[in-house]
Amino acid sequence: MPQTPLVEISDLHFARDTRAIFSGLNMQIQQGCITAIMGPSGCGKTTLLRLIGGQLTPQQGQIKVFDQALINISRDKLTQLRGRMGMLFQSGALFTDLNVFENVAFPLREHTSMSADELHDKVLLMLDAVGLRGTKELMPAELSGGMARRVALARAIAMEPELVLYDEPFTGQDPIAMAVLQRLIRSLNDSLQMTSVLVSHDVTEACEIADDLILLGRGGVVAQGSPDKLLNSSDPLVYQFMHGQADGAIPFHYPAPELITELRTTKAKSGLQASTQTHSSESH
Amino acid sequence: MLVNHLQSLGQWLLRSLGGLGGALFMLLQSVNVVPGPRGWQRLVQQLYVVGVQSLIIIIVSAAFIGMVLGLQGYTLLVDYGSEQAVGQMVALTLVRELAPVVAALLFAGRAGSALTAELGLMKATEQLASLEMFGVDPLHRIVAPRFIAGVIALPILVVIFNLVGIYGGHLIAVDWLGVHSGAYWGNMQAAVSFADDIVNGLIKALVFAVLVTWTALYQGYMCEPTSQGISTATTRTVVYSSLLILGFDFILTALMFGGL
Repeated sequence: MPQTPLVEISDLHFARDTRAIFSGLNMQIQQGCITAIMGPSGCGKTTLLRLIGGQLTPQQGQIKVFDQALINISRDKLTQLRGRMGMLFQSGALFTDLNVFENVAFPLREHTSMSADELHDKVLLMLDAVGLRGTKELMPAELSGGMARRVALARAIAMEPELVLYDEPFTGQDPIAMAVLQRLIRSLNDSLQMTSVLVSHDVTEACEIADDLILLGRGGVVAQGSPDKLLNSSDPLVYQFMHGQADGAIPFHYPAPELITELRTTKAKSGLQASTQTHSSESH
Repeated sequence: MLVNHLQSLGQWLLRSLGGLGGALFMLLQSVNVVPGPRGWQRLVQQLYVVGVQSLIIIIVSAAFIGMVLGLQGYTLLVDYGSEQAVGQMVALTLVRELAPVVAALLFAGRAGSALTAELGLMKATEQLASLEMFGVDPLHRIVAPRFIAGVIALPILVVIFNLVGIYGGHLIAVDWLGVHSGAYWGNMQAAVSFADDIVNGLIKALVFAVLVTWTALYQGYMCEPTSQGISTATTRTVVYSSLLILGFDFILTALMFGGL
């Protein structure tokens, strides 16, 4: 397995309004690997993909992709860099005014000088790979959520980019589609020497496909390593997440006062309001 | 207390200036590229969406406004025996004021709100982010053709508004109330100056077109990508555009016709 980092992140700080998402994140994504980014909801997995794609700018720290620093990068250079990346968005993000064929053809029309015949064949091959060749004439609104995501996957890999960022590629897929997508991501990664970064909540699927797992939490990387290493980890947080335990280091509940305290406070308030209303109606 | 108020005022001023700077930057970024062959195709498509699809509301409104002007003008002028001047009254009112202002207000409600909602939804469904990731600048691809189409479409709509309104006035004053047709057209021809009235009216239309389209696109591009965010942005487009149209109409009228 090659060990050259394609993405390097150092001392990354990122906050939305006053809520800190990352505070001193350091990580590397190795070239040629499938890296799965996991972590509890709200830990910043999608935000991390957007930072790697240069769509968000951190408050502090450095991100290097293809050995090129993204901070203060010029618009032209960033555009060039993005030509070497592909991204599958969580919602699919298909262009609603173009049909399925034109959506997949979009990056090819923009960045290549393929003949119409070559482009036609390439798009059909991509659609066939995701099992949706028969939908080429349909508009995005006519597709189910899972199908839209598969079309978006075909579009993301149409240019055969060096780095592909997948945001929740398996969500909403039936078991057959999920298995096909897993095989597709693996085979594309290996045959075209791509580097794949995928965000997933599904521990089983991520462990099956990924060479490297990164578990995010507490504003940084909690653990990184092979699926076996993380599955056998004794760290309470890693164990709780990888084995889906309800109780542990990661709280299930969003920070709030004790339930009994809140219930009592609410009752006391409503009692006070009722007595005030009684008093005012008596005085009238 | 006073310090707090001053602080809030300062913050509001800074936010407003920041917003204005951002809007100006967006406009300059989007229109600094010469469109290629497919760019022209997108421009034609947008001209159809913002221009042709606004035609019905413009024609119907212009016809009714022209008819009302013809009726009101006749009832006012007939008392002085000057009903023959109704043609020039209808034409001057429309060309100088009503056509650019009403057409721009209707354009803000019909095309401006649609542009904001479209861009807002594209943002919410990550289509703009997706374009960026394909190395395509959304300002060039999405914002520029819509802006140019808006700037071209509104002055043309204003010309159509003028023509339909004048025929609406003719329908009431001449065909219904019996004003002489020759007097209607003749007085109009003698009173309306091409350079002073028609050109100034078209300059107003051009200024309103820039203001409405720019406001609509900025609100859509910068909106919060949620249902409520898009709704707020669409409302803002209509409110801000209307206020800008009325405010700038006063300034332009003062400059063009007020002898300033």
